Amino acid sequence: MEFVQAVIDGLLIGGVYAVISIGLTLVYGVMGIVNFAQAEFVMIGMFVAWFAWAWLGLDPVLAAPLSFAVAFAIGWVVQGHLIARVLKAPSVAQIFLTVGLLIVFENGALMMFGSQFRSVTTSYQTMSLSLGPLFVSLPYLIAFGMSLACGTALWWFMRSSWFGRAMRATALNPSAAQLMGIDAGLMYRIAFALGVGLTAFGGAIILPYATVSPTAGSDYVVLMFTVVVLGGLGSVAGAVAGGLAVGIVQALSALVFPIQLQNLILFLVFIAVLGIRPQGLVGASR
Amino acid sequence: MKRWMLPLTALAIALLLPLLLDPRGYWIRVLAFTFLFAAMAQAWNIVGGLANQTSLGHAAFFGIGAYTSTVLLLKFGISPWIGMIAAAGLGGVAAFAIAIPTMRLQGHYFALATLAFGEVLRVVANVWTSVTGGASGISVPFSSPSLLTYSFKLLRPHAYVALAALVIVTVIFEIVRRSAMGYRLRAIKENPAAAEVIGIDTAKVKLQAAIVSGMLMAMLGTLYAQVAVFFDPDTVFSAASISIRVALIAILGGIGTPVGPILGAFFIIPLEELMNDWFSASAAGLSQLTFGLILIAVILWRPRGFVTLFKSLSSRFGGASA
Repeated sequence: MEFVQAVIDGLLIGGVYAVISIGLTLVYGVMGIVNFAQAEFVMIGMFVAWFAWAWLGLDPVLAAPLSFAVAFAIGWVVQGHLIARVLKAPSVAQIFLTVGLLIVFENGALMMFGSQFRSVTTSYQTMSLSLGPLFVSLPYLIAFGMSLACGTALWWFMRSSWFGRAMRATALNPSAAQLMGIDAGLMYRIAFALGVGLTAFGGAIILPYATVSPTAGSDYVVLMFTVVVLGGLGSVAGAVAGGLAVGIVQALSALVFPIQLQNLILFLVFIAVLGIRPQGLVGASR
Repeated sequence: MKRWMLPLTALAIALLLPLLLDPRGYWIRVLAFTFLFAAMAQAWNIVGGLANQTSLGHAAFFGIGAYTSTVLLLKFGISPWIGMIAAAGLGGVAAFAIAIPTMRLQGHYFALATLAFGEVLRVVANVWTSVTGGASGISVPFSSPSLLTYSFKLLRPHAYVALAALVIVTVIFEIVRRSAMGYRLRAIKENPAAAEVIGIDTAKVKLQAAIVSGMLMAMLGTLYAQVAVFFDPDTVFSAASISIRVALIAILGGIGTPVGPILGAFFIIPLEELMNDWFSASAAGLSQLTFGLILIAVILWRPRGFVTLFKSLSSRFGGASA
């Protein structure tokens, strides 16, 4: 029973991991950039939601679209003015540009908001539904529901909207897309802004059961990379599967190992996957 | 000017510098750490520059080196010099262990895997309390000051040891670069598939480079332990302040070149100290924020490092005289 309970918790948390990581994989899939600063947008999303809660009395889950919008705007500027200039540079320049962004975001937040940990109080925070001997935590369930809605919306956008199709075309072949009248630079901007927006959205919906501080992003860096590498870097469907898998692995390893070793399991899974199947467990081999 | 004049002049200045600074002062410490970080970046440069594999996990070897010599000294009274050799051995083994699964990875994938490897060791060092002392850290026991025990009252001798390390690592880097192995690494860097075709065992060459780099990095970890006297897992296995910083130094200076790490270290380490000095009182995070902004600016302005600045300058001025 303990096992089933852990799987349920893992699945619910994993859904959120999927949303947070989809942004990372989307950016890579469309423009081939690994954004080391991506996790900072979890922190940004959490802060936006926290202030919306503290100043406007808005529930963090309802503030999630606001977090999305703020991160989208930041992403739009960052892509257009900074990332766009290293798209053709060697991968070291790309890696270290985004590492520089990471440092700037983290310390910018530290200067603006101070180092204390903040959390919100909501009416449903400690509630849970009981299904016989099992419990389903309400904040987990709500976050999962929001992830599902967000994932579906993205799926529709990428599949059916003109922008989504144009973006996929750009990912496949930028110069051919350009010949078809698609502005590749604009597509990159949308992809990056959308990607960091989704990550910030994920940050907002976990706020009811998490705390935010300027270093909150660093808790998610390895987690996000594990998720996308498990699913295959660049694959959105893979990120969903990877997110759920990481959630379950984390919840199950909590049953067996002490809390300090939880991340260790994740790191080892990550290295093992990279070593054995760098294209991802579910990704097609190329 | 002869080709050997410039390095010789630089070495002479480096030898004089510790004498000019107040031996009890703050800047001699900064200088010692600048030499040390230049040497670390040079060790990284063998993998990151020559083999073109951006490692973000070199803190793993550094931390192993720091802990190996310190634990041997603490538990068995073994001299840090011998500890340093043991550190090199363990560093080489660790480099071998991580190179096996990551050897065939490139670019971002390699960076991510090595980043995770460094984090694994940080967690292990935090949990393995019986050996490392855990999160509360470890103190290097005091020995009577002499070269033999590698323990000094003042920082001046430490600065010279770090300088010697920098010279040795730089010479090793140059030997590797000019050897057959260096040419093979360059061939792999230019075109891995073509290198395989002409009969280069790419996996073996990369493995060799990784082991040399890991051994050197571990020995520098011992150096750090002796200068710092106290450290904890989060310091020596730090992704941000060791792994990323070391790679950054080499990249800002000029990746794959012998002068790059030295230029980078003399730019970054004193700059960081100055910024901490100026800004720490005014606002938390400001110095690191400025640091991040400078990093972004330099990467956009000189994606191949400061070395290119000298090259473009010398081609502008040198070209006219020749």
